[in-house]
Amino acid sequence: MTTIAEKTKDLVRVDKRDGKLALAHIYVAFIALAIGGLCGLLQTLVRSGTFTLPWGIGYYQILTIHGVLLGLILTTYFIFGFQIAVVSRTSGTLTDKQRLLGWIGFWTMTIGTTASSIMILLNEASVLYTFYAPLQAHWIFYAGLALVIVGTWIGGAGLISKYVEWRKANPGQPSPLLTFMVVVNLAMWIICSLGVAVEVLFQLLPWSLGWVDKVDVLLSRTLFWYFGHPLVYFWLLPAYMVWYAIIPKIIGGKIFSDSLARLSFMLFLLFSIPVGFHHQLTEPGISSFWKFLQVVLTLMVVIPSLLTAFSMFATFEIRGRALGGKGVLGWFKELPWGDARFFAPFVGMVAFIPAGAGGIINASHQMNQLIHNTIWVTGHFHLTVATTVLLTFFGAAYWLIPHLTGRVFTKQMNRLAIIQTIVWAFGMSIMSGAMHIVGLFGAPRRSDFSTYGGSAQATEWIPYQIAQAVGGTILFIGIVLILYIVANLIWFAPKGETEFPVAEVSEHAEKTPMALENWKIWLTICIALILFAYTVPVIEIIQNAPPGSIGYKLW
Amino acid sequence: MSKKREKEPDLKGTLYSVGFLGIFILVTWFMAFYLFIDRF
Ligand code: HEM
Ligand SMILES: [Cu+2]
Repeated sequence: MTTIAEKTKDLVRVDKRDGKLALAHIYVAFIALAIGGLCGLLQTLVRSGTFTLPWGIGYYQILTIHGVLLGLILTTYFIFGFQIAVVSRTSGTLTDKQRLLGWIGFWTMTIGTTASSIMILLNEASVLYTFYAPLQAHWIFYAGLALVIVGTWIGGAGLISKYVEWRKANPGQPSPLLTFMVVVNLAMWIICSLGVAVEVLFQLLPWSLGWVDKVDVLLSRTLFWYFGHPLVYFWLLPAYMVWYAIIPKIIGGKIFSDSLARLSFMLFLLFSIPVGFHHQLTEPGISSFWKFLQVVLTLMVVIPSLLTAFSMFATFEIRGRALGGKGVLGWFKELPWGDARFFAPFVGMVAFIPAGAGGIINASHQMNQLIHNTIWVTGHFHLTVATTVLLTFFGAAYWLIPHLTGRVFTKQMNRLAIIQTIVWAFGMSIMSGAMHIVGLFGAPRRSDFSTYGGSAQATEWIPYQIAQAVGGTILFIGIVLILYIVANLIWFAPKGETEFPVAEVSEHAEKTPMALENWKIWLTICIALILFAYTVPVIEIIQNAPPGSIGYKLW
Repeated sequence: MSKKREKEPDLKGTLYSVGFLGIFILVTWFMAFYLFIDRF
C-alpha cells in the first residue's frame, strides 16, 4: 500500500534553483570551518607553551577569528542552507520572490562577514566573538556583524512567507513538520537577534564611531546575552530537526510522535529567550532575585530536552525491535551502525549527555562560580556546538550535499565519514575532557600561554594544556577529513540521485492538535515571559547605571 | 488513533535509558555541588 506513494515521495527533489541557494550558504560554512579550524589548532598549540605565533599575529586575533567564524558564521550559514533545503523539500519549491529574498539575504550576510573578517585580519577588532564593551573594535566590525543579522532576517522572511503560503493553501491542516520546526527556529532567532541589533546600532556603533564617548557596559552585556543564549538554541534546533524528522527515515523507522516533536520545539521557543542572565550570574548590578528567576526558567529546558531524549530512544527501540532485537537492550545492536548518516548524529547525541549535564551545572546560580570564565566553559560548548551540533550537521551534509549537487555518497566516502566521526569523538574527548578537569582547577579560558610569574597553581595546568594540544591536533585531522569528504561530494563523487530523507509519522501516534500551530497563543506567552523576566531588571540597570566607560584597545 | 491496546510498543529499553540519563545528570550535579560547598 505504501510502496508507490513512498517511492515517488523519496525521490522528491529540491528544485535546482533552491538547491543553488542552499549550496551557496553551505560553501561559505565549510570555508569558515577550514579557516576557523586552523585557528583552533594554533590556539591549542600556543596554549601548550611550545609554540609562538609568527609575524606578530596576536593570540586574541586568532581567537576572535575562531569564535566568529565557527561560532557565528559556520553555524548560521549551514543552518540557513539546511533550512532553505528543508522548506523547499517539505513545503514545495520557493516562489521567485521568496528565492530572491534568500539571495538578497545571502549577499547581505556575506558582505557583512567579509567586512568584519577584514577588520579582524587588520588587527582592528580582536575583541572576541562576544565583542564585550569596553573593548572597542573598529566600527566596520560591528557594522559587518549587523549586516549578517539583517541578512538573516531577509532570508528568514522568504522562508516564513513560504510557510504562510502553505497554511493558506491547506486550511485546517498541520503544516509539514520540518517546515514548522524551521519557522519556530526562525521566530526564536528574529526575536532574540533584535536584542543584539539594538546593542550594536544604539550602543556600539555610535561609540566606536566616536559620536558618543561612553558606553553602558552592563546594558550592552545584558542585550548581548538576551541574544546569546537563544543563539545556542538556534544552533541546536536544526540538529533536533535532523534527529526528530530525518534520522527515523534513515534507520527505516517512523517518527515516534509528531505532536511531541512540535510541543518540544514550542517549549524551546518559550524557555530559550528569557534566560540570558545565566551567563551573567557573577555580574554585579543585577539583583539576585532576577537572576534566580531566570535560572528557574533556564532549568525548564530540561523538560523539552528529556522529551527529546525519550523520543529518540523510543524511535531507536521500536526500530531495533522490528529488526529482531530481543531483551531490554538487544534492539541497540540492530541499528545501522555502518551508515554515517546515522552514526555521526548518533555520536553527537551521545556527546549531548555530558554536555547537557554540564550545562545544568553551569546554570545552577551560585554554583556557576565554580566554573565561571574557566576553560571548563570552553570544554562545555565544544561538546554542545562543536560535537553534538556539528556531527549532526556533518551527518546531514552526507545526504544533503550530494542531493543538491546530483551526486552520490559512495561506500568509500561513507567509510571515511565513519572514521571522521570516530576521530572527532576521540580528539574531542581528550581536548574537552582536559578542559573540563583543568577548568575545575581554576584554569582560565580566553588566555594566551602564561606561567603567571611561575605560580605553582598555574604550573599544574600545563600538562592539561598539552593534552588539549594533543586533542586539538587529532581534531584538526578530523577537519581535514570532513573537508575532503565535502569536496568530494561537491565536485568529484559519481553523478546520480541521492535521497533527501524525510520520515513519516508512526501509525500509533495521536493526531496532531492544531493548537500547536496557533501562533497567537505561543508568541503571546513567549513575549509575556520575556517582558516578565527582563522589564524590571533592565529598568534597574538603566536607572542605577554608573558613568559609562570609554573604549579600550588592549591588544 | 489506534484503538488496539495490545499493539502498544514495548519501550522497556527506553525507560531504562532515560532513567540512566536522569541518574547521570543527578550524580554529576551532586559531584559539582559538593565541590562547590567545599570551596565556597
Ligand atoms: C580543530 C577543532 C577545534 C579546536 C582545536 C578548538 C580549540 C579551541 C580552544 C583551545 C579554544 C579556547 C581558547 C581560549 O579560551 O583561550 C576555543 C574556543 C572556542 N571555540 Fe573552538 N576548537 C575547535 C573547533 C571548534 C568548532 C567546530 C567550533 C564551533 C562550531 C568552535 C567554537 C569555539 C568558540 C565559540 C570558542 C570561544 C572563543 C572565545 O572564547 O572567544 N571550536 N576553541
Ligand atoms: Cu546559555
